[in-house]
Order: sequence, then structure tokens, then C-alpha cells
Amino acid sequence: MNRITEHPILSPAEGRVEARFSFDGKPASGYEGEPISSALAAMGVARFSSHAKDGAPQGIFCANGQCSQCALVVDGVALKSCVTPLRSGMDVRSVEGLPPLPVADAPRALSKPRRLSCEVLVIGGGPSGLAATVELAKLGLSVVLADDKADLGGKLVLQTHKFFGSEADCYAGTRGIDIARKLSDEARALPGVTVLANSPVVGLYADRAAGVLADYREYILVDFKAVLVAAGARERSVLFPGNDLPGVYGAGAFQTLVNRDLVKSSKRVLVLGSGNVGLIAAYHALQAGIEVAGIVEILPQVNGYKVHADKIVRAGVPVYLNATVVEVEGAGRVERATVAEVDEKRRPVLSTARTYEVDTVLVAAGLSPCDEFLRQAEAFGIPAVAAGDAEEIAEASSAMFGGRIAALSLAKLLGRKVELDESWVAKREVLRSRPGDTVPREPVIPEKGTWKPVFHCVQEIPCDPCTTVCPTHSISLKPVRGSIMDLPRYSGKDCRGCNACVAACPGLAVSLVKGLDGGMAEVVLPFEFPAPFAPGSKLSLLDREGAPLGEGELAKKVFNRKYKTWLLTVAAPSEIAVRAIGVRVQSEEATRSLPAARFARLPDEAIVCRCERVTVGEIVRFIKEYRIRDANQLKSLRVGMGACGSKTCAPLLPQVFRQAGVDPAEVAGLTLRPLSIEVPLGTFAGAASGIAALPAGKDGTK
Amino acid sequence: MKSDVVIVGAGSVGLPLAYYLAKRGLKVVVLEKEASWGRGQNRAAIGGIRATHSDRAKIRIAQESLAIVPELETVHGFHVEWKRGGYLFVAYDETRENAFRELLSVQKAAGLGIDWIDGASVAELVPGIRREGLRGGTWSPGDGSASPLLVASAFYKLALDAGVDFRFGEAVTGFDREGRRALRARTALDVYEADRFVNAAGADASRVAELLGETLPVHPDSHEAGVTEPVESFLGPMVVDIIPDAESGNYYYYQIASGQIVFCITPKPQAWGTDCRSTSSFLPLVARRMIELQPRLANVKVRRTWRGLYPMTPDGLPVVGYSRGAENVLIAAGMCGQGFMLGPGLGKILAEETLGGAGEYGFIFEELSPYRAFEGMELLK
Repeated sequence: MNRITEHPILSPAEGRVEARFSFDGKPASGYEGEPISSALAAMGVARFSSHAKDGAPQGIFCANGQCSQCALVVDGVALKSCVTPLRSGMDVRSVEGLPPLPVADAPRALSKPRRLSCEVLVIGGGPSGLAATVELAKLGLSVVLADDKADLGGKLVLQTHKFFGSEADCYAGTRGIDIARKLSDEARALPGVTVLANSPVVGLYADRAAGVLADYREYILVDFKAVLVAAGARERSVLFPGNDLPGVYGAGAFQTLVNRDLVKSSKRVLVLGSGNVGLIAAYHALQAGIEVAGIVEILPQVNGYKVHADKIVRAGVPVYLNATVVEVEGAGRVERATVAEVDEKRRPVLSTARTYEVDTVLVAAGLSPCDEFLRQAEAFGIPAVAAGDAEEIAEASSAMFGGRIAALSLAKLLGRKVELDESWVAKREVLRSRPGDTVPREPVIPEKGTWKPVFHCVQEIPCDPCTTVCPTHSISLKPVRGSIMDLPRYSGKDCRGCNACVAACPGLAVSLVKGLDGGMAEVVLPFEFPAPFAPGSKLSLLDREGAPLGEGELAKKVFNRKYKTWLLTVAAPSEIAVRAIGVRVQSEEATRSLPAARFARLPDEAIVCRCERVTVGEIVRFIKEYRIRDANQLKSLRVGMGACGSKTCAPLLPQVFRQAGVDPAEVAGLTLRPLSIEVPLGTFAGAASGIAALPAGKDGTK
Repeated sequence: MKSDVVIVGAGSVGLPLAYYLAKRGLKVVVLEKEASWGRGQNRAAIGGIRATHSDRAKIRIAQESLAIVPELETVHGFHVEWKRGGYLFVAYDETRENAFRELLSVQKAAGLGIDWIDGASVAELVPGIRREGLRGGTWSPGDGSASPLLVASAFYKLALDAGVDFRFGEAVTGFDREGRRALRARTALDVYEADRFVNAAGADASRVAELLGETLPVHPDSHEAGVTEPVESFLGPMVVDIIPDAESGNYYYYQIASGQIVFCITPKPQAWGTDCRSTSSFLPLVARRMIELQPRLANVKVRRTWRGLYPMTPDGLPVVGYSRGAENVLIAAGMCGQGFMLGPGLGKILAEETLGGAGEYGFIFEELSPYRAFEGMELLK
């Protein structure tokens, strides 16, 4: 079983109960209540079903209830397996071709949907939605907060790393999962807030009502006056042949499998994109014991925070700049990925192609806002604002302030007199900043017997936990910009060697060094992986960017419980100790390419519309032949007609129109309509899903 | 620039008409206010094509359509999801049964393949249908369905290849006239001179007619519709239940060639106007009625919903004929929600008429005259 049993940050929930079920008639096993898709992934199943159009393998893609690609026939009914909890005794089958509609002809008890009423419907309970909810509730507005996950916090609940930002304002230094809990507790405790967790909004209607699929079972209509869209963002798909194979998915889906469900869904991954999402996904893979063959970035520089990138590189993961994925291939799932350098027009240079044996390609080459409900509200004339990634892609810290600000502008729309705290705007401006300058630092050899911190943080980003955790206040930001973008510095005295800064730094970029006799020094290094080494063992030390410095000897290791971080005290020559900040995690073997590159297919075969399996080539030909200037006409090829509602293909269409020689600015966009995800017809009429003849508990009813 | 015919509206009627005119060598310009073709009522049509109407004109036009649409596949090589699944009007009470049986004589006289079938036969066509109270229904196996989107795209492409000049994003803002003739149509971007003009503007037809000083009795109401995921084929015909209840009039659904189920309902009271925004009442209402009729539909997943317009006339029949105020303007509007199924046949007939060869269709122009009395209401609306 591919389960994560050892993880530096996460531990499997206690008391999980085994669920025995059958998959395509064969005995299978997972845990009661986990998504069926995760149970199958843990069994190593990547190909769930075959597409009705061409038999192409289908499997987990969004892991998020959105796309239907993981559909399976469960006890006779086709369901999205990623949002269907596993129960003992289930009969789970692949969908080959179109699923049959089960014969269930007994009359059903039907009822009208329950109605809730509120002033503001908040869609999405991530950092911005939660912050907005708190602000709205403080203003006395009644709020229904609907979120499609069981645990509020949005993507924070998948983040095992410590966050950047300001400790005072947005929980910097705290891990995402813990921030989620704090924000969620605060919002839930307020009067006037109704939380519908595990309950996606499936439609917005002109009569200012929203359809919510409560607990994925009951259709509720929520009447509201205004809506705040904080639905987050999703990874943009990328066009390369093989982009539709099971095993190619977004970083979010990967984090869901690995960090939420503790499924070791991959053995070795390749990451496409070096933004913070890609860098962090690579880091999470390593923490889960999954190898990372490399990170591929089409730009000439790393796109995310340098501290993140350095941390990954130090762990032994190469970042390939000016490079892209040429093709992914495999029989029924990803087996190989081919990467090549790009020329100045970002076209791959095939002579530079290298093929890596990986079973997963994580696409993290940019996010698209989940702003469908905002656009739908605007089209329907419903008062609405967006917050968080749905408004603008940025860090969670910025989203918290964005949520508060959005809440106030919505309150204004509703005629409330509100004063905007200008400091929020200023703070948000800083938190959403792109990284600033990189300032080289030369470490100074410490004096004998005294501790001092060494900062391996050289790029300006909004971050300050080291300054706030220092009990002697001897770390401060060097005032250059006058914001938390400034880099930290040590006052030169009063370091007690308490290691708080080492443990708290989200970038793992602070060490403590103390001079010893004979040109030696001790260095305390932060480490977030399993640390099986015993005192006395030799560790190969690395500098900030992963260059080997030489060996040191582990003097002691301490696990800091608050920050869930190992602190390794290593003795090494002073010259090495002041430069050391990492210990290699992954062997070079994991990053080797095959002796010869292997790729075959043409770029035109890349899939644009996954649901209906439509390629770039088909669309480009159609645009030219029919002189298309309205994206809705691509529906003739069934583009955007699938289960996901064009969530994956729509962001790719401008690129495809350009390829067909058409300026996307001249093209009318796809019309949005309810529903945002598929819902059984019976749910709207209050009919229990499943086959009524089955005994209670087996048909998915409560 | 001068053309033979300017058609206002690139929709269910305008597209086939443009093609048939251009195919006969006429220079045709189509002015369309939307960004592309078929984006008015066509995009909201659910795809049924039946000849089983209650009046001669519509029967005749739809019979043409039923001949033309399959040929888009067999002759022209387009994939339009044509399916000859038939239409089934179900009867659960005496009133409906009597009405259907009465209609049969008219329909049979027009040569339609339609007959009364009993409850057991209905249940064979609609597996799992509620048997309690089911008296039977009228069944017309020759009727069918196709994708409005694909049919529109096929006619657009045929028209394009035949030399039709499409102008999208151009609403007609006025006409230049000389006596009882229209000379030019104006849009914000250009002026289009022609010998003849056709008002095939669907729900916008009354506005276009007003630009010529005429009043058309065409007023849209709206209906919501939806489509499900595709499932294995299990349902042949279009199922129509015209029994009203407290919240709705008739509703109908069928399984299209791709396996998806498309459904639509007439709300009660009718929603007059051009508002096409989705409402929260549609899905709970239509779901209840469909599941009450055929319980197994409870498990099929709804994918998308939309709302479209039925450009209605007072008697439920289209308006086809030349304007009295502007004698070279042909009106082809007021399709009452049946533009998709009437458009291909009507386009072909009107093209022949334009060229002076439609003597055999004289009764159509009489029955559908814009200047008729507009009395009564068609039963199978």
C-alpha cells in the first residue's frame, strides 16, 4: 500500500478503520470515509476508467469534485470518486464507455429544497473568505459561508510549510494547516455566521439565490442580497502531448492526495513551474518520501521566492531554467517526461531533449482565478465582489487582508456606513509584493564562545518572524524600504543561542553559529525531513544554493515541537559552519535522465478540452475554417461542453486562438451558465441518490 | 455595396435561408447583432424536430426539415447528431387522450406517421415510466432530433462556402425607404443596399419591424432548459407531457445522440420578456416532474442549464409573408419556440418563393400571413 506512514509534519489520523470493498470485482481495501479515489491511488491504481470517445485512460485530475474525470460506478451509480467517501462493502467499477443509468423505477419521495436566508453569501472558506466572513459578521451582517471542503481553510489545509508574511498580522512562521484552524475557529465562533462545509455552491441564480450541494447530498437554496466570491484559484493546464495522462495534475490535487489523505501517490515527480506553488509542491513531495526529478521553468529565472527555491535545491532537486516539457508518455499513466531547453521565442530546442522516468508531472505553471461565480453574478446583475485568489493571485497572507477589504466594500454596496482601515490596504500592498532585490551577504566568522545568527535570506520578500520571535529583540529589519520586505540583521549582541529564529524562519534560512577552538565552529541547522542520523554521524553540508561545503559531525539533534522542525547542531570548520544551511535529502540518482531522449508525438496532439478530449490541432483548424471569433462556437467541437464546465480549457483558449492567427481580444468569450459541477437530477427534487431498492446505508443515504 | 438579399438574423431561419439563396446564385448579406451565428434562440433550442403539429403549414414545413437535416450528414458530411427517435406525447387523463386522438385525424390526413399506442407500448419506449394512470400516447417514429448548435454551424459553413457575406456584431438600426420599398438597412458600422430584405430576427423581429413602421405580434416568453451528463442509450423518443400542474405547463425531454438528456419546461405563469438569466425555481420544478414520470432519471447528473426565448404569436403559429408597408421585406419570424425545427424547411421554401417558384406552398403563406386574425391557440405548443 502506498501510504505515508512517516512524515515530519503530518501524522495519520488515529483510529482509522479499514474498509474492504471491491474494484472491478476484485477485493480491495482502504479506509472508511476516505475518498474512493484516494483509496485506489494508495493501491497504485492510476487508470480508473476509459473515456467514452476514444478509450483514453481517465483518472484523478482535480481531486476536488470539479472535473468528473475520476468517475466510477459505485453500487451501480456513476459518481465522482474524489468526493465519494469509501464504505465497506462498496462495489466499485470502472466506467468503460458511457455509464449505464441504473434501473431504479420505484416511485420516490420528493420534496422541495430547504431554503436558508442571509445578507451575504461567501463562496469559499479559504484565507480570504474566512477573513471576509469575520469582518462581515463584526458589522452585524448575516453570512452563509459555503465551502466545498470538509475542513475550512482552503488550500491552507494542504500546506505543511511555515508561512511568510508578518507574524503580527497574518500568522507568519505558522504552518498553513495551523493557520487554517485558527481562522476557521474565529469565523465559526461569530454570531450570524452559518457555515456549510463540504458543500459546494453549484449555481448562482438571477433571483439572488444560490444552489448549494450541502454535504454533497442535499440541494439547499440560499437566498442572499450580495455575494462575496473567495473561491480561490486552480492551476492552469499546459499544452504538451500527453498532458491528459493520469499522473499529470495540478499541485493542488497532489497536495490533496499527499498532505490531506496521506497517500503516497507517486514514486517520482517532475514539477512544471518554479513559482511558489511548484517549489512548495516539490518540497511537500520530498517530505512525503517522494523523489523529485527536477523543476522545469520556462523563464530564465526562478519565479517564486528565492528562499523557497534555495531550500529545494539544497535538498537535492535541480531547477532547470529556460526549459519546458516537450512530451509526457506512458501506457495508461505517466511513465516518462521529456524536457528540453527553449529558444528566445520559448520554443523547445529538441536537440537538447532529455527524458526522465517519472510517474507524475505536477503542473504548477500559473494559476487561474476561480472567478466564475463573480462573472456569473456580474452577468446576472447581482452585487458581488471577489477576494483572495479569485480576485488576484497572491499569497495567503495578502488574501487575508484582501478578504477584509472586500468585506467592507461589499458592506458599502449594501448601504452600510463603513470606514476602511487604510493600514490594511498598505499591509496588503506589501504582502502581495513580488520579491524585491537580492542583496548578497558575506558571513562573518563568529567569535569563540558566542552565538550569532547567520541569515541566508538574501532576497527581499514580505517576511518577519525572525524579528518577532527573538526574546532579546536583537534581530531587526534593516530599514531600506521601511516595510517587512526589508532583510533581517543581527544587532551584534545579546544572542543567547535559543534557536527561536532558526526554528521559526519559514525559509529555513537562519542558522546559529558559535566559534569553537581550533578554527572549528558549531552550527545549528533547521531541518524538516525525517532525521534518522545519530549524534556523531557525518553529515554532508551544503551552502545556500546547494553547493557542497564538506562534512560536519552531528553533535546533537533536537525536535522543536512548536515549529515541528529538527534543529541539528553540527560541528565543522568555521569557514564551512558559517556557510552551511542545508543537508542533502535526495540522492542524485533520482534526478538522472535516461541515456537517450524518448518522445514521439506532435505538439498539435496536446489536449485542450480534457472532458471531451479535443486537441490543439483540431481547434486551430476549426477556427481557421469557420473564421471563428466567438469562443462559444468551439462548442461545435464540444470544447467547454464537458463535465468541468470549461474550467480547464477556457484559460487555454486565448493561446489557441493566437496559434490560429486570431487576436484573442477580438474573440467573444464563453458564456457562463449554472451548474458549476454536475449534480444528480434527483437531488434537486429531494430524492435520495443511489438505487432506492438497496438497503439503507448502502445507497449513499444517511 | 448592393446585394440581392439582406437577411436580418443569422439564426435558425436566417442561416438555412441564406444558404439556399446563395446556392441559387443570389448575392446574400446576413446582418447579425450577436458575435456569431445561432446565438439568439438557436443556442437555447433543445433540438427536437417533428412534423407532428396540428396545422397544415407547420406540418409541411417541418416535413421539409425532416428531409433536410439528415441530409446534412448523408449528403454534406456534417456531423449534426441526427437521431430519428420519434416523439411520444403521453396521456394520463381522458382530456389529453381525447385531444390527442382528435388531432390524429388531421395529422394522418397530412400523411404523418403517427398513431395512438397503449400504455404497455409507451412503457417499452420509456423504460420505467410511471404506469399508474397511463392511458397511452401518440407516437410518431418518423420525428427526430439534432443538435441546434451543429445544424447552425453546418448551415453557416454551407452558406459561407456558397459566398454569403456574414456581418456579425451588427444590429440593424434603421432602414432607408422609398415609398413602399426598403432600399437600405443601416447598422452602426455600415449601410447595406439590397433588392429584398428578410426579417428573420427571431425575438428581435418586432423591433426590426418597428424600424419600418410596422407592428408584429411577436412577443417572447422564456423557458429554461438543461442538459445532463451522457449515459448509455436507454431512451428513444422525445417524451412530451402536456398536463399542466400548479407550477408548470408542459415539459419534455429526450436522450440526444451523444447520450445526454436534454429537458425543458414551461413555467406557470409564463415568463414574458427577454430575460435569459437562470432562476432558482427551474431545477427543483423540472426535476420533480421528470422523476415523477420516470423515477430512474433521479440518478442522472445535470450538467448545465440555460434559458431561452420563444418568440410567441397570439395563436402559436409563425408569421411568414411580405410586409404591406414595405413590399420587398419578407417577414419570417414568430416561430414560437420552433425555429430550429421549422428553419431548414422554411429556409428552403422561402428561397424557392423568392425566386418565384413556390406556388405549391401558397397555403403556407395564407395560413401564416402576418395579417391573419390570430385566433385560437395551437394545442401542441
